[in-house]
This record gives sequence, structure tokens and C-alpha cells, in this order.
Amino acid sequence: MHEFRYERPATVAEAIRAVAHDPEADFLAGGTTEVDLMKDGVFHPDLLVDITRLPLRGVRRDGTMLQVGALTTMEELASDRTLMERAPFVVEALLRGASVQLRNMATIGGNLLQRTRCRYFRDPAVPACNKREPGSGCEAVNSVARMHAILGASPACIALHASDLAVALVALDAVVHIQSEEGERLVPLTQFYLMPGETPDRENVLRHGELITAVDIPLPPEGTRSIYLKIRDRASYEFALASAAIAVIMDGPVIKEARVAMGGVGTIPWRGFEAEEVLREAPATPDTFRSAADGTIRDPFIVPGTAFKVELAKRTLIRALTEVTS
Amino acid sequence: MTTIQQPRILGAGVDRVDGPLKVTGQARYPNDVNLPGMAYAAVVRSTIPSGRITRMDTTAAEKSPGVLEVITHENADHLGEAPATFIKNPQPPLQDDAIRFYGQYIAVVVADTQQNATAAAGLIEVEYERHEAILDPHDPRAERIKDPWGEDTAWGDVRTALNRAPVMIDQTYTTSENTNNPLGLFTTLASWDGDTLTLHDSNQWPNMIQQVVAAMFGLPRDAVRVLTPFVGGGFGAGLRCWSHIPLAVMAARHVGRPVKLELTRPEMFTGLGHRTSSINWIRLGATRDGRLTAIEHESLTTLPLDGDEYEPCSSVSTWSYASPNVTARDQQVRLNIPWTNFMRAPGDAQGNFALESAIDELAWEVGLDPLEIRLLNYAEVDPKTGRPWSSNALRRCLEVGAQRFGWSNRNPEIGSMRDGHELVGYGVAGVSFFWYQQPCSAKVIVRGDGSAYVRSAVTDIGTGTYTIMAQLAAGLLGLEVDQVEMQLGDSSMPVGTAAGGSGLTAALGSAVHDACGRLIQKFVDLAGTDPFSPLANVPFEDVAVSEGRLFRKGDPTRGESLARILAVHGLTELSADGNSTPNSPDQLGMTPAGARGARFVEVRVDEDLGRVRVARIVTVNDGGRILNEKLARSQILGGTVGGVGMALFEDTVTDKDTGRIANATFGDYLIPVNADIPDVHVEFVGEPDAFNPIGVKGIGEIGLVGVAPAIANGIFHATGKRIRSLPITMDEVMD
Repeated sequence: MHEFRYERPATVAEAIRAVAHDPEADFLAGGTTEVDLMKDGVFHPDLLVDITRLPLRGVRRDGTMLQVGALTTMEELASDRTLMERAPFVVEALLRGASVQLRNMATIGGNLLQRTRCRYFRDPAVPACNKREPGSGCEAVNSVARMHAILGASPACIALHASDLAVALVALDAVVHIQSEEGERLVPLTQFYLMPGETPDRENVLRHGELITAVDIPLPPEGTRSIYLKIRDRASYEFALASAAIAVIMDGPVIKEARVAMGGVGTIPWRGFEAEEVLREAPATPDTFRSAADGTIRDPFIVPGTAFKVELAKRTLIRALTEVTS
Repeated sequence: MTTIQQPRILGAGVDRVDGPLKVTGQARYPNDVNLPGMAYAAVVRSTIPSGRITRMDTTAAEKSPGVLEVITHENADHLGEAPATFIKNPQPPLQDDAIRFYGQYIAVVVADTQQNATAAAGLIEVEYERHEAILDPHDPRAERIKDPWGEDTAWGDVRTALNRAPVMIDQTYTTSENTNNPLGLFTTLASWDGDTLTLHDSNQWPNMIQQVVAAMFGLPRDAVRVLTPFVGGGFGAGLRCWSHIPLAVMAARHVGRPVKLELTRPEMFTGLGHRTSSINWIRLGATRDGRLTAIEHESLTTLPLDGDEYEPCSSVSTWSYASPNVTARDQQVRLNIPWTNFMRAPGDAQGNFALESAIDELAWEVGLDPLEIRLLNYAEVDPKTGRPWSSNALRRCLEVGAQRFGWSNRNPEIGSMRDGHELVGYGVAGVSFFWYQQPCSAKVIVRGDGSAYVRSAVTDIGTGTYTIMAQLAAGLLGLEVDQVEMQLGDSSMPVGTAAGGSGLTAALGSAVHDACGRLIQKFVDLAGTDPFSPLANVPFEDVAVSEGRLFRKGDPTRGESLARILAVHGLTELSADGNSTPNSPDQLGMTPAGARGARFVEVRVDEDLGRVRVARIVTVNDGGRILNEKLARSQILGGTVGGVGMALFEDTVTDKDTGRIANATFGDYLIPVNADIPDVHVEFVGEPDAFNPIGVKGIGEIGLVGVAPAIANGIFHATGKRIRSLPITMDEVMD
């Protein structure tokens, strides 16, 4: 492991200052992705600024919204009573996203920033990875692998965004609080992540020295039904091949309102705006669901290993819609 | 999970004698051992699959903090040839600049801490001359080896029989590469003292490591001591002397300190071998009522460029079912890949998947119940020689399993059993496992207090050897299990064989049996020469042993304790050496049968998503006499989990251009988690086997075999889809 310095400032401002003024510095929270990447030689900061003891932990109800401190653990958020009652699919996403050991360490802010599981990104012995070494190419696109994105992908990068939580949160239009030396800015999660394009190393809008301090989760209206359906090879402890996060408001057999997002398919957590258009004021029928699925999985970028995911993702969405509306 | 008692063959399910040590952390595995002044090693691996090293720059690594030594092919010791032990071992590492596979060791760095060694290893710069690699078994440039072991078998006239067969199945079945993945990271701690060497090492055969290391380093065998009292699993991975072992030994000699080399998980994927992929071509000929008239089974498996592997996949077709015409042939193809090696049920696991899938296809073809076709073609005698089996309860396994599973509830129509989104399928497979036994020795000693200890160089890889041998010796010496201490895993003890091939229990057990018999004889002789002994002049045949006493059969009052006999003769202990060699089939006029088994599986297939779940498994096995019901059950359970892994998850993926193993972590290489394993019903049937004095058949591997075809056959019943390649994933099952 590359040698690094370690600091543990007492305040948020000091932590931000410490990182902002050292281009090779980074924040350390739960470390469940970051430390792995350091051990694997993928990530090698000179300075780690430990923020785990800063007062950014806890869940607060604010009207129709939950404000979640960035250092709240996955397990803490999964145990939140209001969230369980009002948006159980977020809890499902948390519980299916990691083992309890990981949920006790991993934080909500960190979860949103988790890096891809792409095997080519995570092994520095692989020379070509635009995400790890900008401009070096993409080895994954030439390889036989199933664990890659089909939406938002390009020959430059097909790395999948692996978070389950973020999928549910983009469906709910969660908002990220970002703090820097200049002050605070709020970014909707739907605009937080960046498609790889020609710069797969840039995964989100955060600038160096900016810190996520909180996430606002709007609570859906009472009576909203929701589901997080995660499809994978084994029964647990695996990232999704396809997942669907859906919240709907029903009026008899008709869908009044719908929020749709998909995981396991995109280079970013994939919001299904097209599906929502199709579903709004539509009868909850197989035809509606198929149109919603076709609308969501459009113009996929596939390699031989991921071709099956097009239909799998559609059927996952259809299954989830069927279950949540019935 | 339940086990039905079959008292005739089942030994008491006593707890593991080494259990408390293990659960309290007191059992010292090789990576737990630390020595004063110990240094740490980290390996560097090649990042091309074929070529040669043109330049290595170790300057930065040598200057890196804490580094004591960097060894490459340019400054490595010249080592002697590694001898073959049953099978070839890798030749010494770092002897030349040639690269034969991606992940080959090209340097080792020694430092004061593991962190410093690992950090420095990352600083070594390597330049290569790349050669074109051969990575695809179908590559016409690849060297093919026909009949690699001289075991190709044929009887009858398969060609004619197939031509005349009213019904024929002609299919190809493939299995993927799997990696053994014992949980314990393989570790070698090498420590020199002058010209003697001690190794704390993870392996399955201490005497083999001793022999190979001694030969490579030009030492007499006695100058090398290999200690492996505990090892964190093996599944076959510890059956060869892998290259990290001589690297650690060499490193320790270079720095003049003990050196520990612990492999990382990714290194475990390239450094210890893996199960070969296989292609099986099967043709079955049969009558319209499903009786086999011909079996033709050909297989192709893979080999590393300079390696050797014994992995006959086709041989299962020579002993599983009765057929008057059989051809079984194997081929190997050499590739630029890491070593292929034994992994739990090598050859059998793959070959059985092919054969049991084909038999199932035949059942559907002729409209016979898949259970019935297996009973119909049961081999009453060894189909190759016509000799009787030493024992063979395959029929009973199938019958009992069907009853426990409720096979009669099966609706034979495809897709007829449904539960919501799920299609329910029932699958069955039979298993006929190979027989294997090697010579082995043991020493049994009775101490002055009447307790005993047993010594052998073999190791217990977690299967329960410590416990079952203590039980066996206790029974033979008339002692309680806790009066017998086991001392294993030390090459300086009586020479032992491998904990592999499901052969250790018969080999070591027969040696312990022999030693105990000789020891009792010595006691009887001692007592017989003592005119005051109640056993004076009582011949050996008339003596029985119980509760630590020898007594005259039929007259328990006329006897003397072992302790007293020792005391009377002024002895502190009395010992006997025991040996075992496999019996000869010719002499006994029978064919030794390995374990037999039947698998019944209920699968549930999501009809939209193609996701397969195993809902329940019944596994019935004939392991001859079962020495310990509880541990035997654990072996079958563990094997079953491995079988589910092989069927649905395990797949070592190699990048097609670079030869790099792409999924060499537990995040990427999927093995079943608890939630993937359903209720498993384990049961033992059969009778003590006639081929060895203790009546056992090895059961370490058979639990895995047959699970994959039973699942595949169940998927066919559920969906009508015949999946002929492993692992079976949802993309193949989805419509």
C-alpha cells in the first residue's frame, strides 16, 4: 500500500480545508470501498482526512422530508422507522445492498460515492482503464463479462454503478448537500452523477475539497406503494444484474403517479423518466408495463456478455411493476 | 437437515476432538505461526501469458523501506529438479526468463514487515518480449495429448452397437474452470538451522512437500521437516508442492532469517491450480425400453504448458452402468494457463455431469422415468471385468433417496408443477465414484497410564481425520476416545499418504488397524510369558479387549489391564508400527468400488427471469462403514454445497487475450452463500466394504458429485430446457 498521512480534524470546516488544500488528499468515512481500493493499488492518496467523528450523523424529520447526515451508517438508516413506513423500498435497497457487517461501517455519503466493481478498474495490472488511467482505453469492453452497464455506456467505459441505495434515492428525487470552503450547494441526485462520456474518471459533480454533508430524502405521500426488486445470480451478497426501484400511487386499477429507477444496468443509477411518462394515468396492465420497460431500456450499449441484460432488465422492471401495482 | 440412523454401518457421531482448539483459536494454522526474527515475503507475478522477461528493474524495490532482499531469475539459487509424486510438481521457480502463464511468479521480495514487502513488490518494473499465447482449447496450434494416462478403455463394439441402436443420444457437455478456494490462505514459513530446514506449510501431504523440497534444495529428506497439524481446507489444492514453497525456502536462505510467505486471495487463483474445464462428447445407444447397449464417452481437458494433470472425465462411463459396449477416451490440450489441478472429485465431477445428463436425456427420449432408467441399467457386477463389486449400494441409494424425496409425487410432464412465477422441477442423478488407496503407515503407542497415542505424518485438512482415527484406535484398543491422543501433520512421523482422492481413511485407517493388531499381539505376548498373569498361555485368538483391559474371550474376569501389563514388565510405553497397502483386485477376485450415491433435487425456476433456486436436496450415499456419522454428514453437506456452486455459480473466467484470471476475488468468483443452500437431507446406506479391513470407502469427495446433473435434470423437468454447460446461469435459462 502507498504510504499516506492521516488526520482527524475536529470540525467540518477544518476537514474541508485539509482536503481542499492538498490535491492528493481525500476524505475517509466508512472506508468500505476506499480502503479496498487503496489495498489493491487503485487509489493512492497522500493524505486521508478522517471525518467519521464529525457531527454529520443522524436522521432528522423535516416536514415531508428526511434529512440524513452523510455519516449516518447504512444500518442506522435502514432502521429508521419513518423511512420504513413511508418509503420501505429505500430500506429494502439498503438491506439488499450489503451485509450487516458492511452496513455497520458504510455511510450514506460514502455509499453514494462508491466506485464501480468493474474487474478491469480494480486491478492495476490491467493497463487499459479510462476510469483509472484517463486516456488508456477500456479493457472491459473487449472482454467476456456480465457485470457491466448497458445504459450510458460507451466504448470508453462500460463500468456499472453498483449502488442499490442510490437507485431508490434517484427515484425519489433525493437532494445532496455539498459543502466547500465557498459554502453549501444543493444538487439533485438525478443531476449528481455524470455519464462517462470521454471522461469516465469523472463520476459526479463533486469538485476536489467538496464534502457531502447530508442527503434529503423526500417522503412519498401516504398510501404510496413501493418496491425494490434486485435480481442476481446468488441469493445474497452480490451486486445486481438488474434491479428496479419503484414507487407508485394508485387510483383503483390506474397508476396516478410513478417513480422508476433501475440499477445493475447503468453507468449511473438510472432514472426511468420515460417509464414514468408511460405509467402516469395508465392502467396497470402487462401492455403498460412492457411499454414502460421498452421506454427505459433504450439504445443499450452491449457487449456479448451483457446482451442478455437488455431483456432481463425489462422483465425485472415488469415484474416489479406487476408486484407493486397488484 | 436430518440424518436417518442406519446403526449397522454408522459409527458414533462424536464431536471433533480438535473442535475446541479450533473454535477457541488455539489451533495454530501455518499462517498463525510466528518465529523470532521472522521476515515477510511478497511475490511478483507476470502480467503476460507467454513470452520472456527482457528487463527487470528492482532498484526502487531494493531501496524501499524495510526491504531485505529481492530475488528474481537473475539472482535466484539454482535448484534441483522437482520429482514427480504420484503426479508432476511444478519445476523450481525463477530458473529462467520464460513466461508460461499470466500470474507466474517472477520475483519475491523479502522485508521486515508484510506491508513493506508488498509495497516494494509493486515497485519492480518488468519488460517483456511477448509471444502469442494459446488460451483456447480449440486452438489448432495447441499440443494435444491423446490417452494421457494409458487408461483409455474399450470393450465390445461400440461402433456397431451405436449403428444398430434403435435410440441414440449424441450430445456435448461442458464444464467451466473452477478454483478450489480453501478459506485458509496458503502459507509457507521457512526456517533454516544450518543445513536443516523446517517448514510450517499449508498442504495435504507433508511427506510429499518434504520429498520435493529436499530434492530441489539438494538436502537429505531427513533434513527437511514439514509441519502441517492444521490447514484451512484444501479441496485438492494442497496435493502438490506449489512454487511459493521453494520461493519461501530460497528467500529464508538468502536473508538468513525465517521467512513467511502468505498468498493473497488473488494469488490463490493462479498459484495453486484449479479444476480444468472439460468438454465431454457422449453417445449412448439404447433399446426402445431404455436398456443401454453402448456408451461412448470422450473428454478434453486442459493442461498448463509445462505441467501434468490426472483428470480422467470419461472413466465414470466405464463403471457407472451396465453396458455391453463401452469406449472411454480422454485427451488433454496444453495452454498458457495457470496449472490445472485436482479439485474435489477431479474428473468424476465433470464426467458424471455429462453422463448423468445424457442418461436423463435418454430417459426422456424413451419415455422412461429418470429414476427407473438408472435402476434398469444398474451394474450388478463390474461391467468391464464381470467381477463382483467389493460392495455397491447404488440401487439402494436410488431407492431410499426416491422414498425420502417423495419422487412418486412427481408429475412427469414438463412444466406441469408450478408455484406462482416458479416452475418446479425434480431432478435425479446417480453417482459411482472412483476408488483410490495408497500405502500408508502409522505408529500406535500405549502409555504407562493405559492411554494411547497415534502418530502419522498425514494431515487432517478439516475432514475429521483426527477424530475418526482416535475413534478407530480407541475401538481397537478397548479405550475411550478421549484416552487416545492423535499426533498428525509432521513429516518426521511415520510416512503417510495424501489427504486426497477420498483415500486417506482407508489408507490410514488400515495402517492404524494393523498397528493396533500388532500392539495387542505384543501385549498378549508379554502377558503370555508372565506366569502370574491371568492371561498366561492364552493364545492371541482367544483374547478380547475392552475398557483398557485384555481378557479371555467368554471370561471377562480373567484379564489384565494394559497399564498393569506395562507396569509388571517395567515398561513406560509399548508401541507398534502399522502399514497398509491396497489389496489386489486379482487376489481378492473383486473390483474395489468407490462410494456410491444418489441425488434428488427440487429446483424452482422463475419463468420470466430464468433464475434458478434449489429448494431441497436429498443425498443418499454408500460409503461402506461410516466411522463417525456426524463428521461423515458434514463431508456430504460440504460436498453438496460445492456441487451447488459447480452447478450454478463457480466459473473461473480467463480474459481471452491476456490469459489473466478476471474474477480472482471472492467478490467476483461466486460460491454459494447460506441463502443459496436449502434443506439438505443426508443419509447413508450400504454395508461395510470388503476391500479393506476396516470396511470403509472414502466419502470426502462424493458429496459434490451428481449435484450439478441433478439440478440440470430438474431444470429440464421444470422448463423443457436442456442446459449442457456449467455453470447454469439465468441468461441460459431465460427464454
